Amino acid sequence: MRTRHAIATAVGLALVSGAIARGQSPPAVSDPRNLTGAWEPMRGGPGAPPPTPPSPIVLKAPYAAEWQARRAAQDEATKKGEPLATAGSECFPYGMPTMMAVANYPIEILQTSGQVTLVTEVHSEVRRVFLDRPQVKLEEVPPGYYGRSIGRWEGDTLVVDTVGIDQKVAGYQSLPHSPQLRLTERIRLVSADILQDQITLDDPVVLEKPVTYTLTYRRLPKYEMVEFICDNNREYTDDKGAVRMKVLDK
Amino acid sequence: MQLASRSQSVRLLFALAAVAVSSRLLVGHHSFAMFDSSSKTSITGTVTRFEWTNPHVFIEVDVPGSGGELKHWSVELGSPSILLRSGWKFTDVKPGDKVTAIVNPLRDGRPGGMLYRLTLPDGSMRGNGTAPPADPPAARSAP
Repeated sequence: MRTRHAIATAVGLALVSGAIARGQSPPAVSDPRNLTGAWEPMRGGPGAPPPTPPSPIVLKAPYAAEWQARRAAQDEATKKGEPLATAGSECFPYGMPTMMAVANYPIEILQTSGQVTLVTEVHSEVRRVFLDRPQVKLEEVPPGYYGRSIGRWEGDTLVVDTVGIDQKVAGYQSLPHSPQLRLTERIRLVSADILQDQITLDDPVVLEKPVTYTLTYRRLPKYEMVEFICDNNREYTDDKGAVRMKVLDK
Repeated sequence: MQLASRSQSVRLLFALAAVAVSSRLLVGHHSFAMFDSSSKTSITGTVTRFEWTNPHVFIEVDVPGSGGELKHWSVELGSPSILLRSGWKFTDVKPGDKVTAIVNPLRDGRPGGMLYRLTLPDGSMRGNGTAPPADPPAARSAP
């Protein structure tokens, strides 16, 4: 156990070398398997570890052409000031994996016996990761926003396997996906107050090879998660599919 | 009232700047492209409604024109979560308050915009998820 702690601490120190270079000493990890707390997505900034570039995205035909055409249409509409509607703009849940980093909204991690629960602030979405149980066959999981997640500890890394993400759920970088999609997450503390989630998307129907990207979070000590019920959505979708803000008369 | 610590402000500014410049990589409730981020409009008027709601907070303002006629504006802000972390309270604005809002106006010309900075009746200021920003180079008065 002591060796594991030492290795984790060493890895964490290496990853936050940027902070050290600026004269900041990241606090030591007292319990590398204790992820409980509120975590805010980080995208660089003070104290951020060096960025981890995502792997290239290579889709199979015809998905590549459809994806590129859709992104081009989104870009064109955005340039015109008429951004296209998304599930987010219509207040649908983000689902996996998008829910893991929406703007800088925090995520709360709760650990109980046999389960890790992740609760997002935006839309109050909930994922349950069941520990040390076998995953079932893909076709046995009813498609949903979060799928079925099974976790296990490998040293100080929580490895989470998720299947059963509904095809209607928008993917990373708006990628399409098939029912064969499998997500593998490697979640770990890189220092006491910095958490990373390395997410790998494997979809043999849509992707030529798996796509991996890494999310980084900063601990928010004593943060109280805020209620977020999307019951006053004044963004609507017009007849061209663009998002508009409802302006009142009085 | 101290709205946000320096480190909070830096973090929130960084997060919002990242949202603004990198919508491809980030996800939020909706794109900000419907607002003209290169333009600032200043409106002064009386609050008719303050909606502390999700996914966005709204301030409704009656703005008197040069001829005395009223023009109504809808001003969008971030979510309560984002605002709370930058020092806002849900009681900061009330119907009847006279306020000045600098906004990034809607590109389609309707009287609405995204808040840049709000000045309350007591002269204190609020940002939109950040500490109150400095005066913009040129905020036009509402047409």
